[in-house]
Amino acid sequence: MSGRLNRAVYCVSQVRLVGILLCSLLLCSLSARGESGIGNPEKGAGIYKNLCAECHGKNGGGVPDEHEEPLVGDKSVESLAEIIHRSMPEDASEKCEGQDAKDVARYVYDSFYSKKARARNNPAEIELSRLTVRQYRNAVADLVGSFVDGSKKRLGSKRGLKGSYHSTRRLSKKSFSFERVDPNIRFEFGQETPDPEDKKAEDFAIRWRGSVMVEETGKYEFIVKSENGFKLWVNSSDEPLIDGWVVSGGESRTRRETIRLLGGRAYPIRVDYFKYKDESASIDLRWKPPHKVEATIPQRQLIPRSVPSTLVVDRSFPPDDSSVGYPRGTSVSKAWIRATTFAAVEVASAVAKRLNEFADTKDSDPKRRQKIKAFCRRFVEKAFRRPLSETEERAIIDSQFKESEETETAVKRVVLMTLKSPRFLYLDREPFQTDSYDVASRLSFGIWDSLPDKALWRAAEQGQLSSPGTVALHARRMLRDRRAKSKLKAFFHHWLKLNQAHSLAKDDELFPKFDKELISDLRTSLDLFIDDILSGRKSNFRQLLLADEMYLNSRIAEFLGKDEGAPKEGFEKRSFDPKERAGVLTHPYLLAAFSYRDNTSPIHRGVFVTRQLLGRTLNPPPEAVEFKDSEFDPDLTMREKVAELTKADSCQNCHSVINPLGFSLEHYDAVGRFRNEDERKRLNAVSKYEGPDGNIETLTGARDLAEYIANDEQAQRGFIIQLFNWIVKQPVQAFGAGMLDELHAGFKKNDYDIRRLIVEIAKVSALRELKPGTSSESSQLAEATK
Amino acid sequence: MNPITRRDFLRNLGISAAAIPFVGGLPGMAQAASQTTKQRVIFMFSPNGVVPWNFWPEQEGADFRLKEILAPMEAYKDRMLVLNGVNNQVRGDGDNHMRGMSCLLTGDELLPGNIQGGSDTPAGWASSISIDQELKKYFQSNPETRTRFGSLEFGAGVPDRADPWTRMSYAGPNQPIAPVDDPYSMFKKLYGKVSARKDIMSVLDDVGTDLKKVRSQVSSEDRELLEKHATFVREMEKELEASGKQDLSVAPPKLKPGVEDENDNLPKLCRMQMDLLVNSFANDMARVATLQFSKSVGQARMRWLGIDEGHHSLSHDKDSNESSQEKLTKINKWFCQQLRYLVQKLDETPEPGSKGSMLDHTTVVWTNELGKGNSHTLNDIPFVLAGNGLGFRMGRSLKLDNEPHNRLLMSFAHAVGHKIDHFGKEDLCEKGALDLT
Repeated sequence: MSGRLNRAVYCVSQVRLVGILLCSLLLCSLSARGESGIGNPEKGAGIYKNLCAECHGKNGGGVPDEHEEPLVGDKSVESLAEIIHRSMPEDASEKCEGQDAKDVARYVYDSFYSKKARARNNPAEIELSRLTVRQYRNAVADLVGSFVDGSKKRLGSKRGLKGSYHSTRRLSKKSFSFERVDPNIRFEFGQETPDPEDKKAEDFAIRWRGSVMVEETGKYEFIVKSENGFKLWVNSSDEPLIDGWVVSGGESRTRRETIRLLGGRAYPIRVDYFKYKDESASIDLRWKPPHKVEATIPQRQLIPRSVPSTLVVDRSFPPDDSSVGYPRGTSVSKAWIRATTFAAVEVASAVAKRLNEFADTKDSDPKRRQKIKAFCRRFVEKAFRRPLSETEERAIIDSQFKESEETETAVKRVVLMTLKSPRFLYLDREPFQTDSYDVASRLSFGIWDSLPDKALWRAAEQGQLSSPGTVALHARRMLRDRRAKSKLKAFFHHWLKLNQAHSLAKDDELFPKFDKELISDLRTSLDLFIDDILSGRKSNFRQLLLADEMYLNSRIAEFLGKDEGAPKEGFEKRSFDPKERAGVLTHPYLLAAFSYRDNTSPIHRGVFVTRQLLGRTLNPPPEAVEFKDSEFDPDLTMREKVAELTKADSCQNCHSVINPLGFSLEHYDAVGRFRNEDERKRLNAVSKYEGPDGNIETLTGARDLAEYIANDEQAQRGFIIQLFNWIVKQPVQAFGAGMLDELHAGFKKNDYDIRRLIVEIAKVSALRELKPGTSSESSQLAEATK
Repeated sequence: MNPITRRDFLRNLGISAAAIPFVGGLPGMAQAASQTTKQRVIFMFSPNGVVPWNFWPEQEGADFRLKEILAPMEAYKDRMLVLNGVNNQVRGDGDNHMRGMSCLLTGDELLPGNIQGGSDTPAGWASSISIDQELKKYFQSNPETRTRFGSLEFGAGVPDRADPWTRMSYAGPNQPIAPVDDPYSMFKKLYGKVSARKDIMSVLDDVGTDLKKVRSQVSSEDRELLEKHATFVREMEKELEASGKQDLSVAPPKLKPGVEDENDNLPKLCRMQMDLLVNSFANDMARVATLQFSKSVGQARMRWLGIDEGHHSLSHDKDSNESSQEKLTKINKWFCQQLRYLVQKLDETPEPGSKGSMLDHTTVVWTNELGKGNSHTLNDIPFVLAGNGLGFRMGRSLKLDNEPHNRLLMSFAHAVGHKIDHFGKEDLCEKGALDLT
């Protein structure tokens, strides 16, 4: 039985590893992590059994009503020894001190506390996963889109919309006067016409056409403001989204409609506009994207070329399970089954409506049914990511066509069947299928969260996807696609916790300029910085943290006091004093997100840095303590208040890590502005941070911290793990004990190039069966792809 | 809601069927009983005026003869009411086609705007609610008469444009309601859930087989997830089955698939829409409907009648142009055949939960934006009523004396018990509702 061969291999090798590890740890634990070899684990085991197990459980798993949290973390053996020496057992810490504490620490660390111990005790596996919501929506859009002519059209580098201007109120050929690309649609014609030659202002008309680029997935509100007649189409060529053609008796002329769009794609947009006898003329085409404020659609989002529309499933889905730290499809619910069912109904009727177009036929075609059947076959194959066997074709397609005389009904049911099938809905059904088609599917879901495209399909057909070189080549090609950018941008939002940062509202009196518009602009500024990192030359992890540049527009410039040389229009990059700004770490959007309404919050900032940027684990606080400003002596600085609040030993276990990190960012106020002194004029951002290796680092401020993170191996590994999780949606440990080390070594060698890291992750995860030591599968694969 | 019939009602009161004829005389009881009697109205529109001499009966009263255009209604003559002498006297901004259309059911002026007709001043939308929507509001405000949609707006061959020529139904000032002119969209609106359920149920067995097969091909750990999946699918199936039990009292009509929205398909599209309309009424989804053929200034080319010219262009030809008048007569007769189809369909459908046919509980009002095409007159607007939903005295041809049509719109409201003291422009309502009983 070939079932789970791959995983079995891992298990076997892990068992062997455990054996070796145990021995080596016992005999020469010195070399374990290049750390000092304090403590004797054998002695420690005995002490643990006598003094600790009662509260912490036999294997550190915790005991209900005693210490419930499992004993896991990333402190060094020395730190553990120090804590035990000082405070354990809780009511009688004198019972375990000095060398005893060191022995217990060693035992705890090696047996269940450290990352390695955890990986060994709970070997991670590749699990069968359903499509995430994002994957479902993208896959459906690309599945249907693959049958639309011109959906792969290049967008070009020009920005704006193409406007054709007409001298009368009719948009006819006869009245056409000129054409141009407008950067955006925001005009105040007053009583004039757009044509300087034509002074007669009674009537004129304009038609704008092109596409609108969308970054994030979500609901977009489109808004047209005008006292004249207008219609707006978005992602549809028949029904207008907004019809304001008739001006009628003082009707309010701001019309808005909401539409769901997927990020990383362009959608056709068209505006028809006319003025007739109205007293004045103006138009403003606006939108409100997710997480941003309403504004005129900016030029950088508009493209003068038109693309075909995309099928965006409107059905709402329950959110994916993110309990492991990233959205993953390893659980199903009734709500999800319902959502996928009714989404499938939606897709089925959309396909039935455009059947002739998709199957390249017409009603009078005598071969219509035949052509449509052929279309169905292609549809099912694309959805299942592999060729259909004859049996499958009979079961899925022929049976429906036999049952339904009406072609449309048969097609609808084929579509329903297909989109309800586990072959469409599930990924990573390993190792049942392991051939080039799986590699193609893993690559495309890895980089795009969507189905393989034509090029990948062809490569799979020709069995080219067993060579790491070819796979890397495809990964690099795919990375240039906007869908990749969208997926990675979502990763950065996730990594930086941007979408959890809902408490950006600040005290109006203290920070009057920090309004919704500014917050929205700051998010754009951060997004543009991420775009730069993603799009090439400086795709560098270190730059992400160390760059002294930031994108500004006039509003942000004024807010930060950088008025001199501020951009007149849109966003431009500006350099800062390196002491003032260091990459994402000091971006005001983030700093403000991790602050209180009226003051900084070293704790929130510290926790964010510890977990997200340094990749360290923190247990939840043993007791919830709320920070109440009013309970402190008003003469204290924020730093002093936090130190006071967390001075208890039980707090210090974690806050000795959190606080110094947060303190080092005290040069930034609650809205992220740089300051040299705070209201008490005693600003102190110098702190001593103890790393997981036990080394003490003196941080004098944000730049030091950024340098520290950029150079810290655990931070780099933490970044790799998070990126891996986001791309592959499986734990990196499931890919073998050495996988993370391998990726990290490559990352270092490639000078921390993020794009190359992504290619590497996509490659190794797609080719997982080809790992050394699993040669039997390699040959199977080679056979399968012949 | 479960509407009870008059018979059920009396049975519940413990009065035997034999006593029924006498019960009518008791005031409280008659009212209670009448609430369970359904009343429905359909406003059917065709454009560009009529050919008066081939349309209006010469005679007045119960003894009248139908002329060429109305001839298809011969079998229903005694259930018809032909109202001559009703004028649209609203005036204001906009050309006659615009006002003819957008003031037809509102009885009120258009708002000033930017839409320019062939003459007169530009105009915008209607400034108040239309009578169909007023009736809907009235019905929906009462739990006894409330239905899923209240009203349904059907169209056939309506161009894909929103302006005062294409809209006659208004939810209020500046709130035109677009007729649904694609029968498939209407089908989806009416029976979307039912047909989706049918489609889903039809594939669930195959989905189950597929799940089983895939399940056998994965590891035992992963099998758990797919087992959960299968359980949820079965639960959903049960729910769908349960919801199917509250099915429609009348099965939805089967629509021929793939009839495109184009000129030559108008006859088919009209039939499909009328079938849907009658079915939606039979399932009590609404008590009010509009059925709009084309639009004012409509240019349908009735090639199936051997007429290649557009309807509106023909309607401009002089009275002396015999060939054109003959064609216009044919066109209007064709519209009358649609009326006949609708009326007959209502007549042949038994009233659900009651005695008689649906026509006993439905009145169809056939109307037009103009009296006559080449003069663009808004006088003598055609109003041909058929059926007994509103309780008017039928089987008559009336010649009224230049009555503003607001009075007729009021009569529709009064007939369902909605006693409004004016509708639309107030000064045109001074004499109150027309008495048609």
